[in-house]
Amino acid sequence: MAVVSAETGRPDLREAKGWRRTKNRVMTALMVASFVIVLIPLGFVLFTVIAKGASVISWQFLTGEPIPPIVLPADVGGMWPAVLGTIEITALATLMAVPLGILGAVYLNEYGGRNWLAALIGFMSDVMTGVPSIVMGLFIFSIWVLHFGFSGLAGAFALACLMLPIVIRSSYEMLRLVPNSLREGSYALGATKSRVTATVVLPAAIGGIVSGALLAVARAAGETAPLLFTILTVTTANPNVFSGANTSLPSQIFANANQPYPGAQDRGWGAALTLIVICFILMIVARFVTARFARYQH
Amino acid sequence: MHLRRRQRFMAAGVAAAATALSLAACSSSSTTSAPSGGSTSSPAAGSSSSAAALSGTLNGSGSTFQTVYQQTAISSFKSVQPNMTVNYGSGGSGKGRTDLASGVVNFAGSDSPIPSAETANFKGKTVLYFPVFLGPITVSYNLSGVTGLKLDATTLAEIFSGKITTWNNAAIAALNSGVKLPSTPITLAVRSDSSGTTQNFSLYLETAAKADWALGSSSTIKWPSTARAGNGNPGVAQIIKSTPGAIGYVDYSDAKASGLTYASIKNSSGAFVAPSTTAASAAGNGITIAPDLTFHAVDSSEPTAYPITYQSWVLVYEMQPNANDAAMLKAYIGYLIGSGQSLLTSLGYAPLPSSLQQKAQAQLSMITS
Amino acid sequence: MSTVTQVDPAAPAGSTHPLEQRRPLGDRVFAIVALGSGLLVLVILVLIAVTTSQQAAPWFSSEGWKIFTNNWNPAANQFGALAFIYGTAVTAIIAIVIAVPLSVGIALLLTEVVPYRWSRPIVYVVDLLAVVPSVVWGLWGILVFAPWVQHIYASIASAVTGVPVLGFFFGTPTSGASFFTAGLILAVMISPIVTSLSREVIATVPAIDKEGAYALGATRWEMITGAVWPHSQGGVVGAVLLGLGRAMGETIAAALVIGSSATITSRLFAPGYNMPAVIANQFGEASGTFRAALMGLGVLLFVFTIIINVLARGIVERNARKKRGG
Repeated sequence: MAVVSAETGRPDLREAKGWRRTKNRVMTALMVASFVIVLIPLGFVLFTVIAKGASVISWQFLTGEPIPPIVLPADVGGMWPAVLGTIEITALATLMAVPLGILGAVYLNEYGGRNWLAALIGFMSDVMTGVPSIVMGLFIFSIWVLHFGFSGLAGAFALACLMLPIVIRSSYEMLRLVPNSLREGSYALGATKSRVTATVVLPAAIGGIVSGALLAVARAAGETAPLLFTILTVTTANPNVFSGANTSLPSQIFANANQPYPGAQDRGWGAALTLIVICFILMIVARFVTARFARYQH
Repeated sequence: MHLRRRQRFMAAGVAAAATALSLAACSSSSTTSAPSGGSTSSPAAGSSSSAAALSGTLNGSGSTFQTVYQQTAISSFKSVQPNMTVNYGSGGSGKGRTDLASGVVNFAGSDSPIPSAETANFKGKTVLYFPVFLGPITVSYNLSGVTGLKLDATTLAEIFSGKITTWNNAAIAALNSGVKLPSTPITLAVRSDSSGTTQNFSLYLETAAKADWALGSSSTIKWPSTARAGNGNPGVAQIIKSTPGAIGYVDYSDAKASGLTYASIKNSSGAFVAPSTTAASAAGNGITIAPDLTFHAVDSSEPTAYPITYQSWVLVYEMQPNANDAAMLKAYIGYLIGSGQSLLTSLGYAPLPSSLQQKAQAQLSMITS
Repeated sequence: MSTVTQVDPAAPAGSTHPLEQRRPLGDRVFAIVALGSGLLVLVILVLIAVTTSQQAAPWFSSEGWKIFTNNWNPAANQFGALAFIYGTAVTAIIAIVIAVPLSVGIALLLTEVVPYRWSRPIVYVVDLLAVVPSVVWGLWGILVFAPWVQHIYASIASAVTGVPVLGFFFGTPTSGASFFTAGLILAVMISPIVTSLSREVIATVPAIDKEGAYALGATRWEMITGAVWPHSQGGVVGAVLLGLGRAMGETIAAALVIGSSATITSRLFAPGYNMPAVIANQFGEASGTFRAALMGLGVLLFVFTIIINVLARGIVERNARKKRGG
């Protein structure tokens, strides 16, 4: 209830008193607490990864090859095949999923409007987010690998299927929030719909779109299950992402970190640290670049 | 498309193999002589060192039991055939067999022969079995102050069915006179993932303790609900190490590397044998081997054998789509069953007994194109 | 009063000649490309649904309605999947209940509470959460977290045994790898996407609404509930659905920390199983009906995602209609 001011007898609107103020403070404290709570597991995981993996990181580890058998110690060979595999497969998947996803969201928001096709596509895209990553891998196995063999391309397809619904949904939400006044102003100036979308709407939403795309890329770079059935495993680097079996950092982490052999454990956790650092640098760079080009900063 | 043709020749195990194989099946029956000249080099048959240099890629997948050996062999094989690339992806014996049936790999690793339910997948093509090694499954446990535990099949069956629940049970005590067994409850450590280890361990219990084992034999067993499950042999080893009173089944190589204590098991001759590579090799002697080289090494009748020993094969099609594939397979498999065997003991696996090795090497020449 | 003719905003302005009102080629191409992308998504999805259903057909035909019993025994060729359905639901609910308040809290923190300068490091921390691979979460979960949290579970369980509701959910048996551990780790994994998307959505609330609320004397929290929430609730629901999708479909992390015990129990600290975990664990050795059963679990997951999405959309629509006064 509003407090009545002593002088005028009217409600004092300057600052909330009593229960409202307490509630406000409690809620603010809860919001800060959410952040702190989330820091705890993150801190633990990073600590574990760094403690177990930092000792093995070296130029030799990052660029050497082949990946040795799990029984050998960590100073033999290196992880380059996995680093290269992750970079090329994830890059290919990103090239496939992100433009397609953004264009799909553009269709849903700008062209589809309320028609039944757009509603169906949007709905089905949400459903696709719930497909287990392993089922994506099995799907690509049955329609691609069986005919064309194991390859980084097959792995990229599986990862792209995983990324697509995330990019679509997040881009769609971002596009939806661009105020219509921007569009109408551009139409009033005589721009065509494609021009409005490409030069006004997309740049307005670019910060959020890139955020969503980055999260999709980070997820794809860290997935193991879709690759289990699509890339086999190699121990030497395969620069040809379109043909021949390949390997990736998450696959190597899974294969090595749980082994009883100390060399394998070191390699596994070293690979984990490498992957985290690569992805994190990528995200920082991408956010920095987008911030320079974003027209509307929040 | 240029890329597609290159894929067919380079990355073996493409579906074209399936079509070519069925076409080849209609052609005249293969002879055992080396392929005639031309551009392909003829590899030496049998166990002698391969003469000519081969190039190309072989893809294999399957049994995780074979992973360590395959990785080590691939690495050493590089010095024998520098221009050949061999890739082995684990993923389970079932996946290996399916991959071979689908034609996406050149060879499969499998801990069991192809079950009858799957034979249809191979569309009548002959599959050759090449045993590559034997290996003990240890029964590892965590009981402070107790070493040298002795168990037999019946007791094991009752423990893993959940009928025996504490360590100081009369059945265990009867086998271990003089050992002070605590009243700690038994915690079972089993596999969460399906595996050939589970398959062969349960097969042993089914064979040697038929009356007491009701859970069947399969890569996935419905263990008692109190059992704790771990991912892979290392996962089970971890549960055992961290839980006092735990008992579980772990491959010998992983048990050794994890520093576990394991029990001696009574074999069919009545002797209590501890797991070791020699005892496992011995198991290869007292068993019946089928003409296609399939067998079960569990519960061998050899007096010095470790009873819970199992085996793994490399499966290949008898008829290969081209001469280069056949040559590469003969070279690599020949290495696995020949000079590569010397790598096994240090890895914790048992080499094939010489009679079995000779039979396998004789079968090499059956791979044709 | 002249009638107002609706003009297609995409038509070139200023021309009434029928021929000149045709859209330029580039514009039409763009529209077609956008439509094509949308259709491609649909095609991929239908393909996934069709191929997985085909491979799962032997299971449905051999088990029929028995797939909803709790009897998963491959050695005896029985494949009743109720325990996994239950486990998926339980872990997803735990993950959402934990993650959504945390994520929305962080999103609100970033947009309403902290000054812009400080928001950048917080965003980077959320990014860090996202770049940890799922297999690392799983391995950390089983190697480090589960052994440590086991003791906490055990103490809680012994404290609440006998207590009516708490004992029902948190009593014995307990295990480090359990429904609750899996739910916790899933919650941490889905927070980045829910936080990031919510933040973007909340950040676009018009300043006018917010300032209006303050002008009326609202506290910050009242402004959030009164001005921010109505505007962003659709977007936040979209974010939550994305997170839920991942919570239901995450494979490797769940397979490692859920305990792999196909039992239906109310005890959240007990080991359990869910659909993606069992597929990951048992696919390598499966063949025949076993394999079909595992593919069938994927199909079931599909169906449940559809049902949940329909329900969620329905609830949001009803809320929006109520707010509009319909």
